Amino acid sequence: MEKQNILNFMEKNKELLLIHTDMQNVEGTKTKRMNIMLTPQFYTLRREAVPVKYIYQAKKIAPSMFDGLLDDTLNYQYYVEKGERWLFIAYDIEKIKSFLVEKGIALENIVKIYFADQSLSHFVSPVLLGTEQALVNLNGIMTVVPQKILDTQSSPIEITSQFIPKKGETFNLASNVSMPNNETYILAAIFILFAAMYTVEGSRYDMQDNKESEKIAELFEAHPSLSSAYTRKNILEKYNRLDKKERQKRKIVKKLSHIIFKGVTLQTLTISDHSVQSTFKCKDQNIVNKLSSLASKEKLISQKGSNNLLSIEGKL
Amino acid sequence: MQFKLYKNEIIMVLAICVLLGAFFYKQKAQNAQKDDASIVILQETKKIIALKKVWADKSSISKIKNLKNIVSSSKVKWNKKSKKLSVSFLDLSNKEFNKVMTKIMNLPIEIISLEAKEVDSKYKVEMKCKW
Repeated sequence: MEKQNILNFMEKNKELLLIHTDMQNVEGTKTKRMNIMLTPQFYTLRREAVPVKYIYQAKKIAPSMFDGLLDDTLNYQYYVEKGERWLFIAYDIEKIKSFLVEKGIALENIVKIYFADQSLSHFVSPVLLGTEQALVNLNGIMTVVPQKILDTQSSPIEITSQFIPKKGETFNLASNVSMPNNETYILAAIFILFAAMYTVEGSRYDMQDNKESEKIAELFEAHPSLSSAYTRKNILEKYNRLDKKERQKRKIVKKLSHIIFKGVTLQTLTISDHSVQSTFKCKDQNIVNKLSSLASKEKLISQKGSNNLLSIEGKL
Repeated sequence: MQFKLYKNEIIMVLAICVLLGAFFYKQKAQNAQKDDASIVILQETKKIIALKKVWADKSSISKIKNLKNIVSSSKVKWNKKSKKLSVSFLDLSNKEFNKVMTKIMNLPIEIISLEAKEVDSKYKVEMKCKW
């Protein structure tokens, strides 16, 4: 008994319900998980030897296998199975769902859908469908026939979970159309992956924050005077101002040294708190003009004087 | 049994919730870091230390003293008081003038004033600075 309970968690040990148009309303399916097997009344099939190797390739060509055979107004899905010849099955899940609901079957309890043609070998005798029809294996094709034409010597069999083939279609009521299983799992996995990345990044920021606090404590220990925000601000202002001004002075002197060329002599150079001023003595007027243009290129203010003198100033 | 009906939707909603939760956690941590006063304090402190290292380094004094020996001592008038210096360089040749100016420009000192003049092809430099 215990063993059976354990096995019941496996799909193949769940009850298999044969779905046909003449079936009675089903009671007691509200809580019981089950598999269903459809009769050919709910699908169209073809068995063809096609030169494809993989299921995904067969699925791609499946719609073309049924060209002109299906009702254009319905929305078909396709099931394919590899065998000696490929088995192609077209079915309309919405039609099946509405039929199941009509028969009182709780859709959320259906685990998998199977097709009678997948279990040909098990249909060694007819399976009675209600009072008038029977499901028989006619030359390798499952067919619904009137019971009247059955051979009286062949005794009908009952369908059991032994009929469940190796593979079937996963039935998921809500997700079948809008949110298929695979996509759901892939998307959920991607979201979780991103969530993990965000969490790692977030914790990195947190850790960094802690590290900074430790660094600050270390710096304040080494430089206690900087622990006061007011002192820090004043010192920073003082040194920023000094750094900026002194760098500027040196930059202007460097520019002046770059623009000097043969025929130019420095006469005076004055560095004060506001500017760097210089006077150059040039050999002739051409050199004065050239030096002046070089100075303006360096964004320095130049002023020509008498005796080929040129004053160049850089403001701080 | 209703939850089985919407199993995939529930999975998606949960995954999205986890994603959003993680995203907001990251954003919060990131913003907290951006707005964090500790970063400003750290940056300020580091900058002050770096600037002090340049402009108030105790080892600067030895570099400044080297200025005295850059040309012949007869050409130098040196007057140092505490952290202030007045120095005059007289009768500098072009080469010496360039050498003195290069040295001054590379010293971590605050130049209060500097005057250089050419007199009879010789340069005279007067500088007041502090550090």
